[in-house]
Amino acid sequence: MMNTAYNFAFFDEGSKREIRRATLKAIAIPGYQVPFASREMPIGRGWGTGGLQLTLALIGKKDVLKVIDQGSDESVNAVSIKKLVSDTTGVQLTESASEATIIQSRHRIPEVPLKKEQILVLQVPLPEPLRYFEPSEHETKKLHAEKEYSGAWLMLFEQIMKYGSMTTGADHPVMVHDRYVMAPSPIPRFDNHKMDENEALILLGAGREKKVYAVPPFTKIVSLDFEDYPFEGESFEGKCCRLCGSEGVFLDELIDEGTGETYYQCNDTGYCYEVLNKAEKAGVN
Amino acid sequence: MKLDIVHDLQSVYRKLVDSTSRPGLITDLGKEAALLDGENETGCSHSLLLLALTLLDPEVTFKVFSANADRAEKELNQLTFAKTAEADQADYLFILDDAEEGSLEDAIQRANPGTYLNPHKSAVIIAETGAIRDGDHLVLKGPGIQTSTPVNVEMDGNWIRRREEKNKEYPVGVDLIFVDQNNQLLSLPRTTQVTEKRVVMNEWVM
Repeated sequence: MMNTAYNFAFFDEGSKREIRRATLKAIAIPGYQVPFASREMPIGRGWGTGGLQLTLALIGKKDVLKVIDQGSDESVNAVSIKKLVSDTTGVQLTESASEATIIQSRHRIPEVPLKKEQILVLQVPLPEPLRYFEPSEHETKKLHAEKEYSGAWLMLFEQIMKYGSMTTGADHPVMVHDRYVMAPSPIPRFDNHKMDENEALILLGAGREKKVYAVPPFTKIVSLDFEDYPFEGESFEGKCCRLCGSEGVFLDELIDEGTGETYYQCNDTGYCYEVLNKAEKAGVN
Repeated sequence: MKLDIVHDLQSVYRKLVDSTSRPGLITDLGKEAALLDGENETGCSHSLLLLALTLLDPEVTFKVFSANADRAEKELNQLTFAKTAEADQADYLFILDDAEEGSLEDAIQRANPGTYLNPHKSAVIIAETGAIRDGDHLVLKGPGIQTSTPVNVEMDGNWIRRREEKNKEYPVGVDLIFVDQNNQLLSLPRTTQVTEKRVVMNEWVM
């Protein structure tokens, strides 16, 4: 049920309009970080306020919302965000990636391929891919304006020199539409290729840093790499989920403290449940 | 007003998002526009007014190109509290169908394209056009489109070339939004390449 003491979708209409204008600009300039006002939210900055603001500006009564936090529908952050949105809008919630019309996610792109009716909203802690080597916002804006990205490649080159391979665990920078280098948010490298020519609109919001940016559907996304050191996602070859048996998905490595045994489990819990439920219906288990 | 500024404008915004993220996708504002029947004093079409209500507020400026621009500007200002500005300064330029011939080209030429540092500070041009429908007069390419997508917009003039000139130094440029009398909406962000399918003239065949 919706709490009518608040505006629909929490915000006043002026706040929504401001976020909406910024979002439309972001869609028109793929990968470019559009500054926006980033309103105060009833959750702390850095806890998904950027994504939440995009979701609240988008959402309507007929939407079906899914919120995931590092693959999980049930972690505290995902549950709090879901509660806030559903209390102020009354929209239907789901754990199924294929039923949702809006998917807000922290650090993962769902395993189930996105469809064209869906919008993926990613929460972003650090939207500036060049911040690692350039602390000044004024300077990074200039670097983006001039398409001067040698620093981004140099950063990866230094990693190769020091460690023998690119060591970006997550948030590996990508080139959008041959123009902007963009932080894809801290999704694992495994998920980077899902952004390329994706069917759904992807919106990225950084509340603390007050930036929104977007990847429209069917936009070319290339992970930065070198000819002799090609970009590679995490590999889970020969491993599968101990619950549903899925292969070729992003797996969490867990250690049974009692036996010391290492096992793997789907990181995307919604996907894992769906596979299990399907198997149960088919009478496999 | 029968129009619900919360829910109906949310729905207009989502259609705008859909059309902008998939250039060539024509969305229908008919349902929301019908709610403005008998309540639109601006001289703009219902769908153009819906877009103005969705996007304008005191934080942005606008300009109207129309035979009755003063009236439309006054009404839009009273409805949204947005202020008017010159064509090269305004955030939103509205071209009504009674505007002088060549207004769209003029607006494209004069509109603020933003800068390399701040390409988002560019103008959005919203124009009333002839019928927007499926067809293959124009072919669109770019982000949001899988390979290419055809569309028909009934509009004369060399706006396509003017737009191309204006947007040639991407990321600076202007974004266009078209609406027709049947409340069909088409969005052409700066990344979309528009080519006109020309009729091949046979007279040159030797």
